Amino acid sequence: MAEATVVPVKKKRPAEAEPAGPGAPTVPFLLDFYPLEREDQTRLAAFYAALREGRLTTTRCRRDGALHWPPRTVCPKCHEDAVDWVDLPTQGRIYAFSAVLAGAPLGMEAEVPFVVGLVDLDGAPLRLFGRIEGSAWAEVRIGQTVRVETYTIADGRVFYRFRTVRAEGPAAAVRPSEGYL
Amino acid sequence: MSERREVAVVGGATVKFGVRATTWPELAQEAGLGLFRAVPALAAEDVDSLFVGAAEPERFAFQSHVAPLAAEQMGLTPHRILQRTELACASGQSAIRSAYAAIASGLSDVAVAVGVEKMNLPSMAEANTAMACVMDRPWDGVHGATAPPFFAMVAQRHMLEYGTTEEQLAAVSEKNHRFANANPSAQFHEKTFPRDKLLRLPLVAPPLRLGDCSSMTDGAAAVVLTHSGLVRRFTDSPAWIRGTGQYSDFHNLANAGSLTDWVGLRRASAEAFRSARITAADLDLAELHDCFTISEIVEYEALGLCPSGEGGRFVADGRSDRGGDLVVNPRGGLLGCGHPLGATGIAQAVEVFEQFAQKVDPRRQVPDPHWALVHNLSGSANVHSLMVYERGG
Ligand SMILES: [Zn+2]
Repeated sequence: MAEATVVPVKKKRPAEAEPAGPGAPTVPFLLDFYPLEREDQTRLAAFYAALREGRLTTTRCRRDGALHWPPRTVCPKCHEDAVDWVDLPTQGRIYAFSAVLAGAPLGMEAEVPFVVGLVDLDGAPLRLFGRIEGSAWAEVRIGQTVRVETYTIADGRVFYRFRTVRAEGPAAAVRPSEGYL
Repeated sequence: MSERREVAVVGGATVKFGVRATTWPELAQEAGLGLFRAVPALAAEDVDSLFVGAAEPERFAFQSHVAPLAAEQMGLTPHRILQRTELACASGQSAIRSAYAAIASGLSDVAVAVGVEKMNLPSMAEANTAMACVMDRPWDGVHGATAPPFFAMVAQRHMLEYGTTEEQLAAVSEKNHRFANANPSAQFHEKTFPRDKLLRLPLVAPPLRLGDCSSMTDGAAAVVLTHSGLVRRFTDSPAWIRGTGQYSDFHNLANAGSLTDWVGLRRASAEAFRSARITAADLDLAELHDCFTISEIVEYEALGLCPSGEGGRFVADGRSDRGGDLVVNPRGGLLGCGHPLGATGIAQAVEVFEQFAQKVDPRRQVPDPHWALVHNLSGSANVHSLMVYERGG
């Protein structure tokens, strides 16, 4: 009597896969908020490689000079794919902000309250949205200086956020329309 | 180009909005029950097409391919066009616009547009995850961008640039909650929100408080549309679709431009008014997308109901209330009714139909309305969708 055939498992499940190299992130088994960053997953892997070195970068069209955000593989202006990576300023000023005091998504509940805002980068025509660390929401001000920083999540992927350079003035225990503008 | 057929909403129904002990398919059944009761002349076999507005059933109900699911739940067998329309907060209006296009072109004769959303889950963090994915998820949602902090920034800039106050925000909420008191299907029916109480509610995303934000709501609504040749089979008081407009110019928040001047709404409404051959001054009522109090204020300005920066004064002076220039959100708005994403745009159309028929509660009935506007924004106000209705009869 023939023995039952055992089909060999050819591939490990992604969650158990070895990192692609020293320091490279593992792959999440379930998708989460963070992008997939590796070269075998995205054509924007250079963005994350630069972030690891503390550089915030994006793409610029070689043809018409259009500066993109987020970084892209095809220019939306001329529809060509000749783009170059360029470094962006790592300092900027807050254009608008708020704080999430309730209603956070999965994985962010423990971070409440947290500040988010739109930041005008110094010397670049870009206004980026992001998390703002470093100050309680009532101490943050429009026009306040922030710098870009890289952080690493548990599985080794990296992302960017802003950090206030200095808190300006005392905490505003007053009505928000008067206190934080 | 062949001639466009005239299309009207000829009936509709809204289920009770709120935190409902019911599932997505059950809500779809309930919408069908309401529709067939509200339009006695409608038979299932009349309906050749079904458009299903549903924003995020994949996360809220762990279900895709919801168009045939809704058809089955409602006892319909569409044989011309069956499709889901997804445009986040405007998914419902998107279903109506698609039904309108299908009937106007002659591809459909009788179409139903239904909107269904089940948003209250055991873990509200999961529901908020779905909301964060309405934004550009790997670039904006990842930072914790949901609707409240985005519209809070709109409010902050409006306060900074124009001196808009929390009291003016509260005036929007008080008005819309007052109308919701006269609407039994509203989530906040029989709950009162005087302005002083609104100003003491907890902050959700400063400067926005709980009363400035629409809710996570379970709900469904359905309308039936047909062309001029069949309208009289169903109703004596059709709501004719006379104009429509839509505009989208960005998705990532970095590309938003001005937070306080919604250029997309200016463009979409110009097209809606042009196609209906009216101006904003002709409107008797408007169902505007008050997902947040500040939204309604910015919308007054972009629609040309008042100059830029004067939206706060417009509501505080009662110009969007009964006895004012026009009545905005007599249904109770998203603030008073709740905001089940896929159902909202359809519930607004039901309101217009019932207002035209003059059969709503007298406390919210607009006297003898003739022109009505329905507006939905979606996401970070990066899409604006509008329809202009004229009372027939
Ligand atoms: Zn280009």
